[in-house]
Amino acid sequence: MARTSAIQNKMMLLVLIPLVLWIGAFELLPIIRMIFMSFQDDAGQGFTLGQYVESFASPLYRQSIVNSIKISFFSSGVAMLIAIICAYSITRFTTKLRDRMLMISNMITNFVGVPLAFAYMILLGGNGAFMVMARELGWDLLAGFDLYSGSGLLLTYIYYQTPLSILLVYPIYYAIRSEWKEAASLLGASTWNFWRYIGLPVMLPGLLGTFSILMANSLGAYATAYALTGINYNLLTIRIAALVSGDIFPNFQLGSALAVILAVIMLISLFINEQMSRWSRRRGL
Amino acid sequence: MKTVAANGKRKAGGKRWHVAVIVVLLIYLFLPIVGTLLFSLAKEWQDEIFPNSYTLEWYAQLLADMRFYEAIGRTVLVSVLTVAITLTIMIPVIFVLHVYFPNGEKLLQISIMLPFAFPPVVSAIGLIKIYSSGPLAITGTVWILIAVYFVLIQPFIYQSVRNSLNTINAIDLVEAAEVLGAGKMTAFRKVVLPNILPGTLVASLLSFSMIFGEFVMSRMLVGGDYETIQMFLYNQMKTSGQSASAVVITYFLLILLLSGLVLKLGSWKPRGYKKAALQEEE
Amino acid sequence: MSFVQVEHVMKSYGEVPVLKDISFSVEEGEFLTLLGPSGCGKSTLLRAIAGLNDIDSGKMFIGGRDITSLSPKDRQVGMVFQSYALFPNMSVFDNIAFGLKMGKMKKAEYTPLVEQMIEIIDLKGKENYYPNQLSGGQQQRVALGRSLVKRPKVLLLDEPLSALDAKIRRSLRNEIRQLQRKLNMTTIFVTHDQEEALTVSDRIIVMNNGEIEQQGTSEEIYTLPGTEFVARFIGSYNVWSRPEMEQAGFADIPSGDLFAIRPEVISIVPQAAVAAHDAGYMYTIGYMKHYAILGNVVRYHVDIGGLDASVDVLNDSGLLHLRENEAVRLAIPMEKCQPLKKLG
Repeated sequence: MARTSAIQNKMMLLVLIPLVLWIGAFELLPIIRMIFMSFQDDAGQGFTLGQYVESFASPLYRQSIVNSIKISFFSSGVAMLIAIICAYSITRFTTKLRDRMLMISNMITNFVGVPLAFAYMILLGGNGAFMVMARELGWDLLAGFDLYSGSGLLLTYIYYQTPLSILLVYPIYYAIRSEWKEAASLLGASTWNFWRYIGLPVMLPGLLGTFSILMANSLGAYATAYALTGINYNLLTIRIAALVSGDIFPNFQLGSALAVILAVIMLISLFINEQMSRWSRRRGL
Repeated sequence: MKTVAANGKRKAGGKRWHVAVIVVLLIYLFLPIVGTLLFSLAKEWQDEIFPNSYTLEWYAQLLADMRFYEAIGRTVLVSVLTVAITLTIMIPVIFVLHVYFPNGEKLLQISIMLPFAFPPVVSAIGLIKIYSSGPLAITGTVWILIAVYFVLIQPFIYQSVRNSLNTINAIDLVEAAEVLGAGKMTAFRKVVLPNILPGTLVASLLSFSMIFGEFVMSRMLVGGDYETIQMFLYNQMKTSGQSASAVVITYFLLILLLSGLVLKLGSWKPRGYKKAALQEEE
Repeated sequence: MSFVQVEHVMKSYGEVPVLKDISFSVEEGEFLTLLGPSGCGKSTLLRAIAGLNDIDSGKMFIGGRDITSLSPKDRQVGMVFQSYALFPNMSVFDNIAFGLKMGKMKKAEYTPLVEQMIEIIDLKGKENYYPNQLSGGQQQRVALGRSLVKRPKVLLLDEPLSALDAKIRRSLRNEIRQLQRKLNMTTIFVTHDQEEALTVSDRIIVMNNGEIEQQGTSEEIYTLPGTEFVARFIGSYNVWSRPEMEQAGFADIPSGDLFAIRPEVISIVPQAAVAAHDAGYMYTIGYMKHYAILGNVVRYHVDIGGLDASVDVLNDSGLLHLRENEAVRLAIPMEKCQPLKKLG
């Protein structure tokens, strides 16, 4: 019987071993360890829900959760809006220009974290070019603006979410076939009707999926906020990092509990994304 | 005829709108970079809309700084090692699962999802706890970075290698090679590997730019002990703003270079592909 | 023992059986076709012979040698895939030379063989082209040459023509057949296209649901279908049961419960011309419904007591004047009324 080849086939699975060990050691084990720690008391003993209780009870940590969700939600929303407008305009051009725009977007997605924070300081920091310009022109709009506050941080988040969002929204437009537009207009639908009854419903799962990816992307972000405001602005990731690597006394147990909370929020986002892409797949898109 | 004219007019108006959108988008995206560039070239830039005089002094200073070269060297080293190790481990796995055990690909799907669900800040906690002491105390060294960057880039390597395998119809190619007398290893080496090379190179370059931009892990797990380019930039930012802006521009040029290479390689085909004057039969 | 011998081969995917106790043989130099709808197991069977699929039980022999547990590279078979599976990084020359190189042949030895093969498949001058510079038909010729150059004992063709358009498909299938005759190459060909099977094969095995329904020459399969499945799959047979035919008004029906009657053996006699009752014919009255012109024949659909009878008539008989609902007489020679085994 074909026994020999079966054994040979099983042998091939040996190539999996390094990967499994690596992922186990540097991905799974740390996660398990973290979950484990989140149920221990401050001394690293016993089993307690105390860290979770503190996470939600303490105004500081509760605020960090709220802030994180808020900044992610708004930055994702605004970036989506920009992308919906811009990606559509991009689809209206020749292939060459489209590719170029996508390449630029892809390149700018790397402009995040420390370099981004720094560039924004140059433009909108205390003596930034725009602030000086606003002062000299006497604009009040920017007078009260503080880059190192929540609204400043929001601006940087919107900036780095925008190119990613364009990259994700652009293919969704391609699900809309021009035949549908033609068929709809022959049936008497206006452009507005087309988008209202066909275009938007078709794109909706994709757009919601994109939104949840953007949410996850910004919820886990740390570098930009840290580079811009240090530990002064109260975000979940900033709190976690401060608790485990700050100069003050580290508290891994509390940090772990916050990290688990963050991971759960991210998993929910990714779960929504998965549901959305299933939804579009069911429609054969 | 009237409708055609009206249509044409509306189209022209639409076109103008789209051009305007793209221009505004480009300005928005490039403004921070242009600002940084001006700052890096300015003699000084305080309380003015545009700098008064320009200089290359900051670049000269940067290029004379050994610490800068060391930081770049460390980052290059860590990315080359990580990408090489990741490719060596991942490509055979993806190939074997894709061609011989398609059901096993689910396993990989899980392992590539994990880094998305557990961002660096989160997974760093467990890593610090496990690898700061005990038998494998590697925090503060290059090894912990290679270990975690592997986890970060493997989803991208997986996606692109799998796409390449799909595009070349790897399963059929391997079967054809086997029927023609090639062993499994030979089929992999002679038939599959050369054909997935372009896609794999692209993924490697994307991985490079990811590692060059990574800050969180290098701050939390090694800090000053192994100063990567991002850590160098962060430290520079706190001391001298203008020389930091020169670092940012250098970093951006590097990204530009990598993106250009990706674009070139993306359309790269094996020998002879270019002059594809398709000969029709009969 | 025949040249290729397949004995009691069984295979299932989980609980689903795909090959149920398959046995057949192929003579040396014979062109055998495995014909059946998609999912009938024909490709699985071919891949099992190539060694690309495991089987659960059974034995396979080529030239008297038991190949059941050999790996594909040791079976000395050649195979052509539906997707061609040409190596995109290799030129036409290198694709064809690949198998010979794997056989540890030296460049000086294989070069003349490869050049000769390139001539046979009529691609001289294109040695250095890459697969994506060739048309589909040319690519498939390279795939064919690549398999033949090793002089395999058996050539396996897995739907090699189905990705090509109709015209090239017809010319390439004739080329394959000629080449096969010239080299006296034992060939097993898998297809779902009955026309293709009938034109090229020495012998056809019709498969359905992992089982062999019938085997025989093209002529036998076409004129003497043994089962309802074969009759329906092979062509536009009228398949009628005895009660249906009785209700349609036929008398003197031969013995049997189920019959297959080819459209071209039925003749239409206008009702007005009262013909004599010839012995050996069955007659009934029906009403013309509609017709379609299929090139050199016209297919009429006639309603006979609720049954739809397809009747093919040469496109020069002037019957086109028949109007809808006009009454016609149908005559069927009794000997052409092929009794079938019941479905099962």
